Amino acid sequence: MNEQIPQPYVSKIDRRTALTWIGVVGAATAVGAGVVIYGPRTGGEPSTRGYGTDPKLAKPDPAPWSRIMVPAQLQTAAILADFILPASGAAPSASTLGVPDFIDEWVSAPYPDQLRDRPIVMNGLNALGARVLKAGAAGRAAALAALPVSSDPATQAFWKKFRRLTIGAYYTTEAGFKDIGYIGNVARASDPGPSDEVKAAVEQQLQKLGL
Amino acid sequence: MALAQPYDVIIVGSGAGGGMSAYHLTKSGLKVLMLEAGRHYDPVAETPMFNTNAQAPLRGVGTPDKPFGFYDATVDGGWQVPNEPYTVAEGSEPFTWWRPRMLGGRTNHWGRISLRFGELDFKPHSRDGLGHDWPITYQDVAPWYDRTEKLVGVTGRAAGLFNTPDSPPGCLLEPPPPRAFEIFYARGFAAMGIPTIPMHGAVVTQAMEGRNTCVFATPCGRGCAIGANFQSTTVLLPPAMATGNLTITTNALVYQVDLDKAGKAKGVSYVDRVTGEHHAATARAVVLAAGSGETARILLNSRSAGFPNGLCNTHGMVGRYLMDSVGLGVYGQFPALEGLPPTTVDGMSVEHIYAPWWGYDKQKELGFPRGYHVEVGGGRRMPSMGMAGLLPDDETSVGDDLRGRLRHRYGSTISFNGRGEMIPNDDCYCELDPTVKDKWGIPVLRFHWKWGESETRQAAHMVQTFLGVIDKLGGKPDPHVETDGKKAISKGGEMIHEIGTARMGHNETDSVVNQYGQSWAVANLFVMDGAVMVSSPDKNPTLSILALAWRSADNLVTLARQGTL
Repeated sequence: MNEQIPQPYVSKIDRRTALTWIGVVGAATAVGAGVVIYGPRTGGEPSTRGYGTDPKLAKPDPAPWSRIMVPAQLQTAAILADFILPASGAAPSASTLGVPDFIDEWVSAPYPDQLRDRPIVMNGLNALGARVLKAGAAGRAAALAALPVSSDPATQAFWKKFRRLTIGAYYTTEAGFKDIGYIGNVARASDPGPSDEVKAAVEQQLQKLGL
Repeated sequence: MALAQPYDVIIVGSGAGGGMSAYHLTKSGLKVLMLEAGRHYDPVAETPMFNTNAQAPLRGVGTPDKPFGFYDATVDGGWQVPNEPYTVAEGSEPFTWWRPRMLGGRTNHWGRISLRFGELDFKPHSRDGLGHDWPITYQDVAPWYDRTEKLVGVTGRAAGLFNTPDSPPGCLLEPPPPRAFEIFYARGFAAMGIPTIPMHGAVVTQAMEGRNTCVFATPCGRGCAIGANFQSTTVLLPPAMATGNLTITTNALVYQVDLDKAGKAKGVSYVDRVTGEHHAATARAVVLAAGSGETARILLNSRSAGFPNGLCNTHGMVGRYLMDSVGLGVYGQFPALEGLPPTTVDGMSVEHIYAPWWGYDKQKELGFPRGYHVEVGGGRRMPSMGMAGLLPDDETSVGDDLRGRLRHRYGSTISFNGRGEMIPNDDCYCELDPTVKDKWGIPVLRFHWKWGESETRQAAHMVQTFLGVIDKLGGKPDPHVETDGKKAISKGGEMIHEIGTARMGHNETDSVVNQYGQSWAVANLFVMDGAVMVSSPDKNPTLSILALAWRSADNLVTLARQGTL
């Protein structure tokens, strides 16, 4: 476990995304690709618009709804996401891949599944934030380690939900593809089928099963 | 807007039935106006072929706006279409209706499984006294299947199995080799005496004149920018346009067939979905290919003194015998597939092999009269938001432990999906809702649905078969699997194979149209979509919709040349 003081989380959303929110986030300042500095909301109605039934697919626009997480919640999300998937060898940490921003996009979305998840995640982040944001390394580690074994139903629900979202968000990135060994999505002139090595491995397993 | 040009034929709908009708009619020299309720759609520019989930909002998961996921090709629709409701009658079992609003209709996103109906499938009543026989035989349609396969581009190989037609040489393209998980599961089925054979998929897998070959990489459900799979918008409409004989008007929601004083169809009325303006278009003949639900709705909404209950509905046959496929799936996790060397499941996107129904000679002992085939998914697919589902629900690992477990289990799940025949029954139909109207004031459909025991018993058998093969393969089934067929069975309409609302038959008392889709009541009014089907075999309907539409369109051309329209 990382016993260092956590780095302040810097949103990984791109400038284009940030600019689409600026009307509603108000004081968010896009200072360049990959860096957005949040300030207090200064006004304007938050958008709860979905992407509609005919969004552009080939070059998708950023999700149009306003984000609801405040910096303390994003920071807590970064700490927890990195507890679940810290950097390991060549694989980056979850926060490096912008998982907290994705969690924000998820819990802010106006759709039924995400609206159901919203209180679970937001309440969980608030409760966890109180224990980890100002804690020392040991206190933080203890608070994180307590999550998976908590007997409190709300904490359990938060832990499971947040972990599922983190895993999904992480492995859907190119870095996640590399880490899990996904190969594909590359144009080929023909489909030769699985390699001899793979076929032999399958065959071996089938023989063990008596098939 | 007045449509001054005289047209020979108006086609309502641009999907499998409409697209194929337009293809043949325009190539035969007839002037065609195609009216499509949805917007124009350009697969070349709009298809997100290689996009990753991370490029999509919410990592591409399904939402009410895009129920099959962000990248699914469906435009402006899904289980609900904005401004165009439908209802389900009180006391009915659930029914759900998938509609897009785009040029090419559902052919843009469909599963591309292209199985011919067999000889038994056209004569089900003769076989066991259940359901109804078609007025035609397999032999009547076989030449049209041949032509359709050669035009569409369909994979497959002769297998010599009962009621699972082989195609003559030269019709089918080379099927791609089975993927690792397919080699694996096939042996489980083999041990149960269930053969698996190459899938018939509407994907161009080898050099084919006038077509691009598949790049064996991306999901067909997003559509195909290079036209290597079958979509009406890439295979049928471009050559039809090239004849100079086709005019396409989009956003044209047809709600009525208009009759002249002699009782012949003179055209249709439609509302522009964008402007709300109403228009009429005229032609010498009208082809309805709007999809079984919408085609029935147009007929039912076409009321006149001669047809107070809807056009062609004097005998109450419109909307009747609505059918879908029986469907359900069971997944398993297989330790034997854990830790395999990395391999790709990319291929033709459609399953490379499948298990056709194997129990034709055992229906009596099985306790249900009709069969199902099995479509199987699995392997190391592009990661999605469902990745955590690889692990048991109570699993709590983090860090390297978590990474290792996911890596180990990745690609070790397989889902078995049954698609089975439904026997038409009196409780499954659609009619006009007496009060509910769409945004433009047009009465909407109200559905009635009830699965029969033939279907729910079949569904229960599917579950047992899948649990059986999972066990043979040393796997662990979904812990929440439902074994009660009545609960496990899909909702009506959920398989998106709804057919049979204006079926063909022998005369006007038992059907709406004749074997060529020509309506009994109005000689120059035709139906050329799935509505004409008499039975709903386990084989997915699109290939048969295409073949029947071609056959019917060819008859229409003959009538036009004879001057008898």
